[in-house]
This record gives sequence, structure tokens and C-alpha cells, in this order.
Amino acid sequence: MSGYSELIKNFEKIRAYMREFYVYGFKSRTEYDRKSPRSYDNERRRLESWLGDYMGFSRTPEGKTVFLSIDSRSSRCNPLYKAWKSKSFTDGDITLHFILFDILYEESVCFTLAELMEKIDGEYLSHFENPMFFDESTLRKKLKEYVSEGILLAEKRGRQTCYRRASSPALPADGEGLHFFSEVAPCGVIGSFLLDKGDEMPIACTFKHHYITHTVDSDILAKLFDAMGKKSSVILSNRARRASRDFDAEAVPLKIFISAQSGRQHLVAYQIRQRQLVSYRLDYLTDVKPGSPFAEFDDYRHWLTQVQRHLWGVSVKKFGEQMDTVEFTVFVGEDEEYIVQRLMREKRCGTVERVDNHHYLFSATVSDGGELIPWIRTFLCRITDFSCSDKVVEARFWSDVDRMNRMYGLKGGEDE
Amino acid sequence: MIFSELYSAYYNAVAALLKEVIAGNREEKHLRETVERHAFAESALTVLPALKQQKWQLLTKEGDTPLRHAPTLPLTLLERRWLKAVSMDPRVRLFDLSFEGLEDVEPLFTPDDYVIYDRYADGDPYEDEGYVSRFRLILRAIREHRPLRIETVNRRGRPIVMNLMPLRLEYSEKDDKFRLISSGCRYGKTVNLGRILSCRFYEGTNYSEHHESPRTLRSLTLRIRDERNALERCMLHFAHFEKRAERLEGNEYALHLRYDGEDETELVIRVLSFGPMVEVLEPQEFRALIAERLIRQNKLRM
Repeated sequence: MSGYSELIKNFEKIRAYMREFYVYGFKSRTEYDRKSPRSYDNERRRLESWLGDYMGFSRTPEGKTVFLSIDSRSSRCNPLYKAWKSKSFTDGDITLHFILFDILYEESVCFTLAELMEKIDGEYLSHFENPMFFDESTLRKKLKEYVSEGILLAEKRGRQTCYRRASSPALPADGEGLHFFSEVAPCGVIGSFLLDKGDEMPIACTFKHHYITHTVDSDILAKLFDAMGKKSSVILSNRARRASRDFDAEAVPLKIFISAQSGRQHLVAYQIRQRQLVSYRLDYLTDVKPGSPFAEFDDYRHWLTQVQRHLWGVSVKKFGEQMDTVEFTVFVGEDEEYIVQRLMREKRCGTVERVDNHHYLFSATVSDGGELIPWIRTFLCRITDFSCSDKVVEARFWSDVDRMNRMYGLKGGEDE
Repeated sequence: MIFSELYSAYYNAVAALLKEVIAGNREEKHLRETVERHAFAESALTVLPALKQQKWQLLTKEGDTPLRHAPTLPLTLLERRWLKAVSMDPRVRLFDLSFEGLEDVEPLFTPDDYVIYDRYADGDPYEDEGYVSRFRLILRAIREHRPLRIETVNRRGRPIVMNLMPLRLEYSEKDDKFRLISSGCRYGKTVNLGRILSCRFYEGTNYSEHHESPRTLRSLTLRIRDERNALERCMLHFAHFEKRAERLEGNEYALHLRYDGEDETELVIRVLSFGPMVEVLEPQEFRALIAERLIRQNKLRM
């Protein structure tokens, strides 16, 4: 397997494999038809190198399948972060990096490009039999890159530019806090980068219902946040479900909608061409490119805040057309106050009213009544009444109950 | 923005290795272990030869380095922007995090930039001074391995007092709650922090100290019918469990997962939420739990 390396240049390629192995994990090698078999072998070996403890294999008639199985309740740190620490580099990159920061070892030290070149050659590379050679343009490019990353400062000294190490806040001493936010905050992988700089320490906090699938979308998320900060549009490359190619669209990112119950992340954006709000799954976005400043950003975000009062999930497309009214009544027995508490804490944009001692009515006017159905099903065994102004949704709810009855060999519903 | 060699495991491993060399630790075995600790399973096979063969000109053939200082790196702008964003989170008060030096930094995101739309509404009160000080005391007790005397209320609202040894905290983003996992208390091993009324170090001996008991994991096999995108929704929904999937016939798939026995009721309603797209295959006891709910529902519908 010549040319194999643990490191990769392009994250997008491994992102797709990670998702397949982690979310699904039932495909055999031959089914990864978009890539060559060799590419599959390399990606699988990389993932095994990064995440070997979580990798499993099984034999099926179609061949061997590979899957990632991570019980996130028992792993204290998100193991998928490792993928973000696998960027490849050249021999020159790493050599120059450590030498540069050894020369610029503290903030008061400041040198011009010419002075840095002299020091690199004379004080560092001269120790080697066949010293590397860095030309002026290579060094200038690297310095420029580090200035944009915020780790070097460029200052004018007369007509020349000199470079110094950027001042840096101290790494927060409370590793526990840093660890907590590296797991729960958006773009938590950046917290993991910070933890890598400190010493390992025992961790007191673990996580339940902890979704880590979105880890592989961190770069997309960071770019969207960056655009929101700049109140700018972006060019989104979107590969919708079952589509064979990406579609580009210019949109103004307004807010990220995160689900704590599935780990899915959506962008709700104002799509400029269609002049409407659109939600995009982040895991379907393959690229985000900077667009241009959007003067009405605050107005559209305010509009979205109004829209949110009628959103159960992320379905914004139908907003403003015809809203759905959803109502259901649940039976609450003696000593079942916890059901009322459930309704109250899970009702989101809906309202809950006490009908009598044993019945409570939930109602909501939302942009898409179908979005509530999975939640309403969790009350099966105590639903005395259900209605939706979208009669297709209403009929499907009861026909689904009939199908469930048949699945479990029960009599009940309309089939009796 | 995020995928950069500045954050790479190899750079971290080389920085750690050079620190060891500068401190005078040049033993090959020690250097290999340093690389293995900071990078991936096969990294030592690349990193050590690259340094030895002087492809990366940071170690001489004598094993010395021309570097004079232990490698350090300022925080990148991205790291500072993320820290600034974290400083705006209400939960930050629970920890002893300092954000000095970030005054002029633009946050990577603000609370207005995202919403967790399906989080339960009765989360812990992070603005409550009493809650914050109890959280910090519990965290300290875990670190120092000291027993606690806790006054809390049970599910029925009755006050109870318990002496226990705190082991760890567990946070659920869905519930937006912290729970204390402990040992040595006859009332159970889990205490919701939001229900604690008072808390102090316990100096007495009226508690028994045990290690955390192992989790009671149970197996569950589901059949997924891939209608209305159920396969993807279901696989994402159950992604946080230890699991394995296999293809059955047509558009059907089997999902085998292991869950904590204490969470069975929660899992029952999570399976119900998928309606006819997900059917419990095994165990029969779990299948009966779903059927029992349907029977009760049928009675209400008649």
C-alpha cells in the first residue's frame, strides 16, 4: 500500500467515510462504489489508526463490513475529534514551524524576514549535514499564514516589516471547564485543540444522550458562524439526499438549529434567489464559501425570531402559507403528575391546558404539523383525542397506529 | 478554518518529543511512548524515522536539537474566538474559567447564532448563586475524593438527607441537567443537582464507600423499515449507543444496540416515536412493553 499516510490533505473525503462507518456501518467494501477499492482501504486503515478501539467488523454474505460503535456515555472525550488532528504537511512546514517559534520564543523578540532567514540557516539548519533551504518567498508565505492565524504579529520598523510572537491569553487553568465546553459547545473540537496544549488531567464530568455525529461538520459550522458575525451571505454547496451532485445557492445564514435529541444540525438561511427561508442539513453541505455583506441581516434575523414562535422543528418552507393547528388530549391517572410535567417541559411552542382532573389538552399552531407526530406518538397509551388541520397528517397518524397494532399482532384500530 | 496542521496530532507529538529532548530525556523507548501518547496508533512509525533521517530537521544525528526553548505556541485567533464565545454561555459560571486577554476578540458565535430547539424547558438554574456554589463544592469533593452530606428532595417532593461519596457528574444536553453519580448511599447512586437544597463536606463515617457499580446493559434489536427516511433518522437518533446494523431484505434493516437498564422506559417511548417504521424484534419482554402501550391506547380509542 505505497503512499499510505495516517494524515490527509482534504477532510471532505474522510468525512463521508466516517459518517458511513459511524451512522450506518452495514455496507461492504464493494458498495463504496464512488471511490476506488484502494481509496476505501486507505480510508479504513486511517480510521482504524485513529479510532481502532471503536472499530468493529462483521461478516455478511455481501462481504466484510466495517462499523464504528461508540457508546458516548462511557467515553469521556469525543473520539471523533481525532480526525480533525490529521492534517498533512510538508517536511519544510514542520521544520520551519518549530524553528520560527524557537527564534520568536517570546513577545519581545522581533525580527525582519532577512534576519529570520539568516538565523534559520546559521543557527538551526547548519547543524545538519544536508540542510534544507527555505527561499524568501516560502518564508514570507509562512509568516503571512501565521499572521492570519493570529499567532504572529507583523509590525512596521521603518520601511521594513518585522515579526513577533502574538501575545496570548493564558490557557484557562480549569481543565474541567474546558473539557465540558469542548464536549457541549458548538465547534467543541476547538476546545479539544486547547486541551491538547495542557497536561492530561482526571475528568469529573461525563455525558448522557451525547450526540457526536456532527463533529465531522465542525468546519462547515465554523464558516457559517463566521459569516453570521460578518452579517454576510455565503455560497452553499448542498448535496441533498439521494442527489448525485452538489447544488450551489447563495444564502444569508441566520441561525443554526441544533437538536439535542438526534444530534442533527440545520442552518436556517434566507435564500436570496428564492426570497424565502430555507433550512439546510449541515451534514449535507459540502462547502461554504464567503459571499458579500447583507445589509438587511438584522431584519431577516428578527423575522426568523417571529417565525420561531410557530416552529416545532426546522421546517420553515411552508411558513406564511397555511399554518397547521395540532391538538391532542392525554389521559393522566392518579399519581401520574409526571405526565403533566413531561408535557410542560417538552411542549416547546405549544400550550398545555387542564381539561378536567384526568385530561390535559396540548395545542400548537405550527408551520408543519407533521413535525410533531414522532413526539405525539411517545404518548401512545394515553391519547384520548388527536386532530390536525392538515387532514393527511391526521389520517396518517391513526393509520400508523393501525399498522403498529398489526406489527405486534394486536387487534385494534380500523382493521378490526 | 479548522482543519490545519497547527492543531495536528503530529505537531503536538513533535512538540512533546522536543520538550523531552530539551529536558535531557533522549531514550528511544521514552520518545516513542511520548509520540504514541500524543498521536495515533501508527504515528511512531512515521514521526521517529522522519526526525532520525532528518527529513524534519529538528533532531541532529546525535539526537540533540538546535532548538533552545521548549516549544510553545500562542493561542490562534480561532481558539481565542471560540473561548470568547464560550465566555457567553450561562453554564460558564459553574467553572473557574478565566477569560482575561480576550477583551478585543470577536466571538466565533453568540447565543443569538444558534438554538437548541428540542431541549427540555426545566433545565438546571445556572443563574442561581446557591446552585453554582453547590456545583463547585461537589466538583471539589469529587477531585479531593471527600464525602458529602446532601439535603435533597425526592420525586414526591419529600426532603431527604444523605451521606455519600461523590464519584462523577453526568450532564445531559437534552435534559439540560447535571446528575451526581455517587456511592455509599442507600437512597440510590444518582442525585439531580437541581433538586439539592444544601450540601457540605461530611466529616463523619456514616457512609459506605464503594467503587461505581458497573452499568447494567441490556440488548435490543430493532427492525427498521426505510420509509419516510426512517433509516437515516433512526440511525442518527440511536447513534450515541454501542450499536451494530445489518441489512435484511428489501428496505429493511436490523439495528442491535445496548442500553442502560435504568433507561428502559425512556427507550420504550423513543422506539414508539418512530411508529410503524421501527419494530422491536428482541427481546420479547421489550416487545411486550410496546404492545402493552398499544393495547391501552386501543382501549382509549374505542
